[in-house]
Order: sequence, then C-alpha cells, then structure tokens
Amino acid sequence: MAKKTAKKTVKKPVKKTPKKTAKKLVKTSAKKPVKQAARPVRSTKRRGPRSASERVAGLLVLLPWLIKRKRVRLSDVAKQFRMSEEELIADLQMAAVCGVPPYTPDALIDVFIDEGWVVAEIPTFFSRPLQLTSAEMYAVVAMVRAAQKLPGAPSRSVLATAVSKLARLAPEVTDSPMHIDLPDAPHLEELRSAESESAELRIEYFNPARSEVAQRTIRVVRIFSEHGHWYVMADDDKSGAIRNFRVDRIESLVRTGKIFNQADVASRLDDDAERGWFGDNLELVSLRVRGDAAWIAEAYPTVSQSSNKDGSIDVSLRITSEHWLARLVLRGGRNVEVLSPEKYVSLAARTARGIRAKYN
Amino acid sequence: MTKKPKAAPVASKKKINAAERMLNLLALLSVRSQPLTLKQIRAELLNQYSEDGDAARAQFERDKSDLRNLGIPIDMITLGGAQAGETAYRVNRNNYELTDMGFTDDELQALQIAAATVRLGAQEGEQALWKLGAERVNPKLGPRASIGFADPHLGTILHAIGKRAPLTFLYKGETRSVDAYGMLARKGFWYLVGFDHLRKAQRVFRVDRIESNVSVGKAKSYDMPKNVDIVKSVPTERQMMAAGDYEHSTAQVRVHASLTRIVARDFGAAAVVREEADGAVVFEIPCSNGYAFRLWLFAMMDKAEVIGPPDVRELVVRWLDEVAERA
Repeated sequence: MAKKTAKKTVKKPVKKTPKKTAKKLVKTSAKKPVKQAARPVRSTKRRGPRSASERVAGLLVLLPWLIKRKRVRLSDVAKQFRMSEEELIADLQMAAVCGVPPYTPDALIDVFIDEGWVVAEIPTFFSRPLQLTSAEMYAVVAMVRAAQKLPGAPSRSVLATAVSKLARLAPEVTDSPMHIDLPDAPHLEELRSAESESAELRIEYFNPARSEVAQRTIRVVRIFSEHGHWYVMADDDKSGAIRNFRVDRIESLVRTGKIFNQADVASRLDDDAERGWFGDNLELVSLRVRGDAAWIAEAYPTVSQSSNKDGSIDVSLRITSEHWLARLVLRGGRNVEVLSPEKYVSLAARTARGIRAKYN
Repeated sequence: MTKKPKAAPVASKKKINAAERMLNLLALLSVRSQPLTLKQIRAELLNQYSEDGDAARAQFERDKSDLRNLGIPIDMITLGGAQAGETAYRVNRNNYELTDMGFTDDELQALQIAAATVRLGAQEGEQALWKLGAERVNPKLGPRASIGFADPHLGTILHAIGKRAPLTFLYKGETRSVDAYGMLARKGFWYLVGFDHLRKAQRVFRVDRIESNVSVGKAKSYDMPKNVDIVKSVPTERQMMAAGDYEHSTAQVRVHASLTRIVARDFGAAAVVREEADGAVVFEIPCSNGYAFRLWLFAMMDKAEVIGPPDVRELVVRWLDEVAERA
C-alpha cells in the first residue's frame, strides 16, 4: 500500500482547494459501504462528533504511520484507519497548520494532500509512534500466541523473533502466563488444504436441526473459530446457499475430485453469508431464561437481549428448525420458557413427553 | 488544502479548536529545552488559550489531563530563583515515543497476518499494529480465530499479574481477593486462575462474570507458584461432567447409530461398552456432575437413552417429567 516514489526535492504547491477535494469526495464515498464481519471496533458511523482528544489520539497514531510511508493514497489511508475521507481530510488539514511558534512553514507538521495522495515526506513533529499501552502490548501478544496455534500458520518462527523484540520493551508482557486454547477439531488440516487448492468436498454432516447425519457437497469459502468451535463457511449443494458448518460435526470428508472457482463462490458471499449467521428469513422466537439456563443467552447469536428485574433474561433469536428449538428448550429445562410464538410455548413439554415414552 | 501560509495563521484566528491547541501544546512542550510556565505557554501559543486567566487555566488543565490519558506524561517542575514557587511544564519525548523496534519487513508482515487471522474484537490490536508501523490486511485464505479481547477487565488483570499485585472484585455476590497466577482464553471466554483468599484455595473465575471493578493491590505481594498449569486448572466440559458429587460416577447410555461416531470421538474407544445389532452403541459416560451430563444427554434428544444404573435412569425420567408437566 505504501507506494514509494522518488524523493522530491521541491515540494509541490497544493493544487486542490479543500472545497474541490471535498466535492470529489462525495463521489468516491457514495460507493457501497464496506461490510464488516462482526462488531466493528471503529465504525465510521460514530455517534456524534469526535472529541478533541480522540482526534489528537488518532493523529498521533496516523502521522508517524504516514511519515514512515511518505506517500499513501487518501482512499487507502481512510480505509486503513476506518475513517471517512472527509474526516481524514479535516484531521490532516488541522494537523498541517499545527507546529511550534512562530508557525513558519518549517515549524509546521509537514503533511499535505496532492492529487488524491497523502504526502508526509519530511519528519518534523510526531514522526515517532506513541509507545504501546500495556493493554495494546497484551493484545499483540494474545494475537501472536493465537496465530501460532492456527493450523497452517506461516512464519511461526518469524512471529517468535518479533515477540522477542517486544520483550525488550516489556518482558513481563511477553512472558505473561496468558494462555490461548483454540478448540481441537479433526479434519481441520484437510479442510485447510481443500480451501487453498479449491477442492470440492463431500462430507457426512450431523445436522442438529434434524438430529441426523446427511451427505453434502461443499466448496469451502472460509474456516474460522468462534466461541470455542471451528466452523467452515461453505457453498452447500443441499441448501443451494452459503452456510456455516461446525467442523466437529463433520463425520467424514473426501474430495470429489472437482476443482471450483473461488471467485464465483466468493462473489455470492455478499448475498448469503455476510447477512449474518442464519439470514433474516428464519423464524424469530423469544425466550425467557434464568439460572442454570442463562448460558443460552451467551451460547448463540441473539437478535436482542434484555434483563428483567427478577434476574431472568429475555432473548430473541432466529431458529433454523422446530427440532433445533425443541432441543434447546429441553436442555434448558425448567429455567427456559418460550414467550412467542404461541405455537412453541408447549414445545418443551411435548418434546419431553416424546422422549419420556422411551423410558416406559 | 492550504499549506504553509507565510504568516502565522493562529495569531489571526479568533477561535482555535481544542484539538489544534492540544497538538500545538504538545509540539511546544516537546521542542523547548526549558520547561515553560503557563504564562509563557500562553504567550507562545498566542490567542489559543482564553484571555481570562481562570478560563485559560481550566483549558490548560483539561489539555494536560487529556494528553496524559493518551499516554503522554507532562512533567511538572517547581522553579526556583526569580520565579520561585512557579510551576513549569515539560514533555520528555522519550517518555511517550516508541523506540525503534527494529522489526524486519518479514516480522511486520507476520504480525499483520497474525492480526488479520486472529480477531480480538477490540481496538487495541489495530492500534498496536499501526503504532508498530504495520497495517491491516485481509488475507483470502487460511483459518481465522476469534478470541475476544474486548473485556475491559483484561488489561487490568494481565497488568496486575505482571506486577504480582493482588486483585479484589465482586464475584457471585462475594468480594474475592485473589493472587492471580494466569489467564486462559477458551471457548470464547477468559478465565482467571489464582489463589482465592476467601476460599483459601486455588480457584477459577470467568472474567465476564466479575460483577464490579477490579481493584489492584500492591505490586510484588505474592510469589508465583512454580508448578501451576494454568491450562489444566480450568476444567474442560468433559472434566466438568466428571467433576461433581452425584452418587454415581458413570452412566450407560445407548446412542443411536447415526451419532455413535461423534460420541466415540469425544469420549474415546475406551468408553464403548458394546455395539448392538441395529448399529447403536452403549457408552459408559461420566455423570458425576448431573447438570453437565443432562446438557450433553439431551443434546441428542431421542437418539440417546440412559439404560443404567437404575438410579440414573430414574433421575433422567424425573428431569423429563419436570419439563413434560410444565405446560
């Protein structure tokens, strides 16, 4: 991203007036908004204007990053720092008039925008990055420790030397007794190689929505772990859609011998999988959980949650099938009740009676 | 964008925004070799602070505390001589600037990939990446993990462990005082392992269940025990099923043919008691912890049946009746 150009000895005067730049911006930012897989940490949709200290904090991270790269496309910087181009221009404009008295050109922060590029060639002030906070150091170490456990992770040893350099700053952080336990799953390595070779797979998969094992043909889009389980996001012939499968529920897998086109499948991602775990066309149910069934509120992606005065929690979630809900309410026992829809209020009792019949 | 005006722009401005003033203050205090008093600062940053002395003091204090919160400490020096008693301010760049880490391109790239494949769900990861000069990337292939680093207690607890400072917090309605030994991220949760002074024994706490702020005591208050295995200290689901006080430690469970492979994988071949003609398999499964056993059993709905011992079978019937009679 940081494209280096031959160092210029004479600084070009700025060609664009701020107004012009802003006008052009409207066009570029009218693009489809970038989709985020999950809770964005620094969304561009902030509530209200940023505080002075947030703007300063951002600039003190941004400026050294720019100076290291010298010239970066404005749009790339905005994307990298999850800002709108307007916000970015406003911040850079502000920084460019800051410095030390007497505020002559050589005493100002050296940053400007030239034909859609952000240029910060000569280090003046704030050219060195801020020290990492202790939370940031721990975050890096957690990231590295988890990454080193990922199957097929490249550069384990390179990560180790990077961490040893961090250790010079804060040995107590790099030696921290902080452990990351990624779930074990069989087939992970086979899935990974199928992904990288675009190999289609036939799997036997246990579907909890029906409590049965069925054969499916899948084309892997992504492999990820979430809440202690590995999932494979894949294009599935059975449903005709991109779905998430829990890797530990894959009983067996073989290659079909067919190679699929990654780009074709990936192009469908926007329509299917990114909408969320299960899409919006699935039935919404409301449950009240308490006591030892409160795990339900933590274990599944919920649409909404609210706590009641008596300590119970009302959750609404989308269900894939009546069978799946029956299983959930049976496991929750007396500490879960269905609030709506009406037809499921007695589902737990009906399910329990059905299983009870086996014990007669 | 206007660049490098010849005249001092700030002097001509009536009102300057607080962010701009803060940057100018930081620049000024970083480059001047002598500490400056507020009076001198106001004279240098002409018109940037209020003309009213009290208002200017309030603005300055706010800027100072904001900068401090960003990790930029402002030294205060009490002057002697002609200015005896006056306070002067200075910023030592060494106190807030990162020294050159000397990362190679390969190392930076490896960190970028690590950050892209491990989702923390917290801003700290990205902030650190940028400060180290790296950037967010989006690799197309390869497994990704999410370990969750958003809990505000994490930084506090980890920092305290590094200093061997005891922690105090409210947990399940009781105030716990804990010498923390280590942490484990597992299945989307963070666990804290440490010596609990209330129970006078080693205990495990789930960080998201802490009900209060975490207060940190004096550093070096305790020694780290040598032989604590943090990972093994946090029981797995299977261990939870075996860890309880129910009078029967195992139950025989008949599992439908369609699910036998998954159960065999989870509990091992040693758990198999016998195979039946229809493909069903009877397993010997730990059930000391009735609650955990029940969750496991009912996940299989009518595809699993407890066949013995009779007490456990009766218990399952009671559980089912309890739910069956509700509606």
